[in-house]
Amino acid sequence: MSAGAPAGAAGTARPGIVGARVQRREDPRLLTGRGSYTDDRKAAGAVHVAFCRSDRAHARIAGIDAAQARQAPGVLGVFTAEDIAAVARPIRATSNMPDYRATEFAPLARGKVRHVGEPVAAVVAGDRYLAEDAAALVAVDYDPLPDITDPEEALADRVLLHEDAGTNLIAAREFARGDVDGAMTGAALVVEDRFRIRRKTPAAIENRCYLAEYDAGRQALTLHGSTQVPGLLRDALAEIFDLPGHRLRVVAPDVGGGFGAKASLYPEEVVVCALAMRLGRPVKWTGDRMEDLTATSQAFDEIVRAKLALDADGRMVGLEADVIGDIGAYSIYPWTASLEPVQVVSFLPGPYRIAAYRGRVRAVATSKTPTGPYRGVGRPVSTFVMERLVDMAARRLALDPAEIRARNLVRDEEFPYKAGSGIVWDRAGFQDCLRMALDRFGYAERRAEQAAARGDGRSVGIGIASYAELTGIGSRISAAPGMPINTGTERATIEIDSTGAVTAAFGIASHGQGLETTLAQIVAEELGVRVEDVDIVHGDSAAVAHSTGTYASRSIVLAGGAATLSARSLREQVVKAASHILEAAETDIEMRDGVVSVAGTDASITLRELARAFYTEMRRIPKEARESLDLSASATYDPFFGTTTAATHIAEVEIDPQTFGVAVRRYVVAEDCGRVVNPMIVDGQVHGGVAQGIGAALLEEVVHDDSGQILTGSFVDYVVPSAAEIPDIEAVHLDTESPSTLGGYRGMGEGGTIGAPAAVANAVADALSGLDIQINELPVTPERLFRLIRNTEGNEGEPRHGF
Amino acid sequence: MKPPAFEYVAAESVEEATARLAEYGDDARPIAGGQSLVPMMNFRLVSPAVLVDIRRIAPPDAIGEADGHVRIGALTRHRALETSPLIRDRFPVLAAAMTHVAHLAIRNRGTIGGSLCHADPAAELPAMAVLLDARIHVARRNGERIVEAGAFFEGALWTALEDGEIVTRIDFPLLPPGTGWGFREFARRHGDFALAGAAATVTGSAGRAAEVRIALFGVGETPVRAAAAEALLTGTGFEPDAVAAAIDALRNAVDPDDDLHASADYRRHLAGILAGRALGDAWARAGGGAA
Repeated sequence: MSAGAPAGAAGTARPGIVGARVQRREDPRLLTGRGSYTDDRKAAGAVHVAFCRSDRAHARIAGIDAAQARQAPGVLGVFTAEDIAAVARPIRATSNMPDYRATEFAPLARGKVRHVGEPVAAVVAGDRYLAEDAAALVAVDYDPLPDITDPEEALADRVLLHEDAGTNLIAAREFARGDVDGAMTGAALVVEDRFRIRRKTPAAIENRCYLAEYDAGRQALTLHGSTQVPGLLRDALAEIFDLPGHRLRVVAPDVGGGFGAKASLYPEEVVVCALAMRLGRPVKWTGDRMEDLTATSQAFDEIVRAKLALDADGRMVGLEADVIGDIGAYSIYPWTASLEPVQVVSFLPGPYRIAAYRGRVRAVATSKTPTGPYRGVGRPVSTFVMERLVDMAARRLALDPAEIRARNLVRDEEFPYKAGSGIVWDRAGFQDCLRMALDRFGYAERRAEQAAARGDGRSVGIGIASYAELTGIGSRISAAPGMPINTGTERATIEIDSTGAVTAAFGIASHGQGLETTLAQIVAEELGVRVEDVDIVHGDSAAVAHSTGTYASRSIVLAGGAATLSARSLREQVVKAASHILEAAETDIEMRDGVVSVAGTDASITLRELARAFYTEMRRIPKEARESLDLSASATYDPFFGTTTAATHIAEVEIDPQTFGVAVRRYVVAEDCGRVVNPMIVDGQVHGGVAQGIGAALLEEVVHDDSGQILTGSFVDYVVPSAAEIPDIEAVHLDTESPSTLGGYRGMGEGGTIGAPAAVANAVADALSGLDIQINELPVTPERLFRLIRNTEGNEGEPRHGF
Repeated sequence: MKPPAFEYVAAESVEEATARLAEYGDDARPIAGGQSLVPMMNFRLVSPAVLVDIRRIAPPDAIGEADGHVRIGALTRHRALETSPLIRDRFPVLAAAMTHVAHLAIRNRGTIGGSLCHADPAAELPAMAVLLDARIHVARRNGERIVEAGAFFEGALWTALEDGEIVTRIDFPLLPPGTGWGFREFARRHGDFALAGAAATVTGSAGRAAEVRIALFGVGETPVRAAAAEALLTGTGFEPDAVAAAIDALRNAVDPDDDLHASADYRRHLAGILAGRALGDAWARAGGGAA
């Protein structure tokens, strides 16, 4: 916050609007309660939905008696699967990945329920209170079926969740390169373990909310919703309701966080649209926190058996992994259930040089809430597993954890480097990030302090985690395995209107990332105007012809690239127009801070004057020239492969040796996120991501009982970190340009969450290194530490005081 | 998470409140700060037909000293207790405990009468009442009675209050001079309900503990005094063996449950650790019994 200047002041400082600490332009609105979220939107005559949701994990629906609910005060109707099926085509997330079985995902449960919280009936009433009263009166007759809660048991297929799939194994895949068996048998050291990371939920501060309005006169449907992917939804709903895109508009107004959980198509979105068309009234559903914790997509639920082989010098020679992903009840659209677990095996080799790799993954359906994308997708788990293995190996070889990483991280001269899973890393600062993190952390001094603290009986631990991820993925690679939609391009349209105002329209949907600021910085820099001259339109499927949205650390690379291309093209048009108006050669025209001038003269006009001359004062530019000019430009950018983002995290923790409370004391991140558009925003993304990763490491866990009931249905029981649990986080950036993207940008929105679980887990393991225990399960709660430590002491009575 | 419809009446006096509660019987609930009741209504765990709002009953936040007691009006907010100079002087353990109650916004609204009546086994205030031998004044239509804190808490979310009764005042008998105190709790996050907690007072005399009180919370259906441990420490100089014996006794006496956040074994373990720390603090503050 050192750059206290308002956006404009910082923005006018040249050179370099890109790279400046411009304050977030959206914050005055959002922080003073003047944001406009979907639930803030008032539609005349709107009616409200409450869902009757399954209280069973797995049961056949024998009957639904809604007679009493229909008679309840204020009720307009009660709707079930057949009502929706009459107007909406079924949803099926398809993939051309071999060994993937597409399953149907009905907006309201059809025949069976498959998880607690699954919507069974939609009750529409004049307000939410009445709708909830009536929803409680819907009587669903369930024939119980055996629950499928344990993913390893589910693999035996004794009970099937989706009978038409014929198996609970929804997806399977294997990656292999090199002689893994030879590497294992010939290695000086093999470390291995079974790792478990427990299910998380993204828990955005704004619960999901949708408002559908149907204009019967125009036969046009508009959906306002808390979504990251308005364009993707528009295209999906066009298929589901068989409508052309120009009669279907999806708008994401201000959105209070998503973290991936608002990047999929949800049953509630289809239901409000179907009911708005059927009832001819605006239909709104505002989810509450209990619904969010039971019916918003969850994540990170994996069992990983992995082993790492090294030579006597600590060089990695082979890696093998077997991943079981508990994907929950349905394969979410469009990403499919394979997204998260396949990413675990794809990214497991991490940023290391490993010649031989074999990774197998099985995605298993269980009677739990569907899983979907969550900040980091797969990589928080793969990084946790790999970085634990690295530290286990370092300990066995008596190598410092920093040294073993330095020996194995891909070196600058080895890029592009093809990892064992087939991922190709373009040049990124793997080694530089490690060095920078160690420097900033003061690694040698901290290790000395740690030794002294141990001498005083304190349990202090230091944990390192290095990782690499693919960001800004282009059209060559699918964002999810085999998914038949294009997630590799984004489009921008920039226009100068007759007042000289610059409007840049995108299909991405900023929901916390500050894209209204960073994209304006890019447009301003490329076009030659001030940041405050540029308005950013986003989150609206009508803004551009095609877009998918904001997810997968893609927006600054893809939308930023599209902004760059279209701004450059528009600038050429401005220069041509100005050459007529100022009667000068195009090569002499300059534009800076929104002023167009002739080099070496005092002749200049503002953009407003130029626009008036172009649009209004018809004699200023010859007709022929005007007809070939347009103060508007559109461009689509495709990074084709994408680019690598890398980082090293270092965490220091202290554990109370008696209560087993874990406090994170210090945290340093050094990352290569390419060219930094706005350091303040990058720091904020790192801070938020690390906080979420600390939650994953120490606190957060969706818990089910043996019958599939969710025990963590409120924020009393689903424990997210608060400010008090998060230390100051220092972030340092290796500010170099990616060789693979226009502008040199790399995506960086997810990295904090990828590195933190591993760094904290390694720090906890380091703090407890005097004990014979393994940190192989997250979150590592005080209860788990208590049990681990007691078990090492012979399972008798109280753990001894102190380690 | 919307409550079903309910009637709302605002009472201006204790008489009016108790009359209304008697009139509606089982269907009515009194509401003060609403910090526990309203969430339970939103979850539809309770669905009172009538809410009798008692916030307007004066005086809302009286804290005063009389007859060897500090008297606190039931409508006093947690935050008022936390910041009261009188409480900080007479019962620093109580002021310290209040800083652990949830978060500032909740402490600004939640009342101490409400916290006692809600009787969450992991809450701080009920434990303070038990530790400090509070006397709880209870009003009903045409009557009043006093319930000792030790008899007030009957189970989790269950008290000795009869239908139609409300708490009006809590009296805390003053502690003898030279009393030290300790308060320790362990929660997963700042402001959460404790997985376990312990509070202690020690009154020293000539290097010995003349009186020892230990209250434990979060480790059973109600907050409890660790009577056996208190007896084992009374008269000692807090020698390590004496403290260890007291901790063993205390762990044997509690009967916690397993839940989502902690097993019974871990809670029992914590109870001992936290009681040991609270006793150590209390003994040190009592000047090691020097007074």
